[in-house]
Amino acid sequence: MSTEDLTQTPLAADGSFEVHLAQRGETYRVPADQSILKVLSDAGVDVPFACEQGVCGTCLTQVVAGKPDHWDMFLTSEEQEANNQMLICCSRSQTARLVLDL
Amino acid sequence: MFIKNTWYVACSLADLNALGDKPLGRTICNEKMAFFRGPDGKVAAVEDFCPHRGAPLSLGKVCKGHLQCGYHGLEMGVDGKTVQMPGQRVRGFPAIKAFAVVERYGFVWVWPGDQAKADESQMPVFEFFDNPAWAYGGGLYHVQADYRLMIDNLMDLTHETYVHATSIGQPEIDETPCETKVEGDQVILQRHMQGIQAPPFWQMAMSANGLDPQAKVDRWQICRFTPPSHVMIDVGVALAGKGGFDAAPEHKAYSVVVDFITPETETSHWYHWGMARQFKPDDAELTDKIRAGQGGIFNEDMEMLQLQQANISQWPDRKLLMLNIDSGGVQSRRIIDRLLAKELAPELPTTPATGIPA
Repeated sequence: MSTEDLTQTPLAADGSFEVHLAQRGETYRVPADQSILKVLSDAGVDVPFACEQGVCGTCLTQVVAGKPDHWDMFLTSEEQEANNQMLICCSRSQTARLVLDL
Repeated sequence: MFIKNTWYVACSLADLNALGDKPLGRTICNEKMAFFRGPDGKVAAVEDFCPHRGAPLSLGKVCKGHLQCGYHGLEMGVDGKTVQMPGQRVRGFPAIKAFAVVERYGFVWVWPGDQAKADESQMPVFEFFDNPAWAYGGGLYHVQADYRLMIDNLMDLTHETYVHATSIGQPEIDETPCETKVEGDQVILQRHMQGIQAPPFWQMAMSANGLDPQAKVDRWQICRFTPPSHVMIDVGVALAGKGGFDAAPEHKAYSVVVDFITPETETSHWYHWGMARQFKPDDAELTDKIRAGQGGIFNEDMEMLQLQQANISQWPDRKLLMLNIDSGGVQSRRIIDRLLAKELAPELPTTPATGIPA
């Protein structure tokens, strides 16, 4: 097993990344054609959401480690640059691993 | 299909003001719009569609220059961007369409087409509005008929003899041939009757202007169509032999019938009608009397047009006759079709010029 810290490693070439849920201790792979929200919902992880287009802020989630790739229109640019929260309905990851406070 | 890159009368300022803190919802050229006064007091128009849940914004109210949706309180700005909403961060809310608006001549004018092309310098100019030498009175009818049927109606006054037999109609109209000419984008249709008895409406106008209502007159009708759908008609009577249309003011009763015809849907329109006159411009009572008379006359047209539209809608494939008396409408429709083709041209696929068979 690699000891490399994937939260500091750039995203894989195929656009997929892994999401680790810190509270639950579970890890899921997010393929390029699916959102974090979709992967978690399909896995039965109950996350609140509404607009699914980065507008309403319902799915706002705290980021513990890794660097999000923000696609939403809800956060200000300052909030996005802080990289400590994200909208998981549309935003993705710049690093191979994201750790969320879920 | 409508010419959309142009100015249409949306509503009278009086009708909008009468609503107080309520917006005015109105469909123009199939575009649903909500009109309201923004923070600077200027009239604005946005799509009548709340970006939240699609509710008509025109059901809401105006709060400090913002249009508050009557469903969940979203507040829309004059530019189509949401200003605020209780409990929500609105920065990412999608914008809705905002329409260019001009307040002029007592009306709100709107440009329903490509907003990047909206051009105030293309507003029509009228000498009789905001001019103390003239008085203006008018009204609004919502007519369930293709707006072009109204253009046909106004560019053919032969119908007066039959539709308006008790007010402005008289047999001499039928008996006097009309002349149609096209000057650029304008169609002019005119008819001059000599030495006739004035019909009831004009007898009233003659009395109001100090003329003997029983005197023989020369009567004229000069209809002018200009795009997209404005029809101004010089109408009047002068004591016989005094020069008709060109007679000195003391020998005639003369006015301009003002028609702003705004398409709503393919089979309905908003008809702002009125009359501008130069005789007794300060007589408000006369303005009201003329408005009442004209309103009654134009109601006769509305009834005819709505039933005509019902017939045409029932038999859409039946070909209608175009006679010599219809030439004004025919020429006006040709101008509309030409301008419409021009407006749509950039959107059409270009034909390959290679000459090589596919």
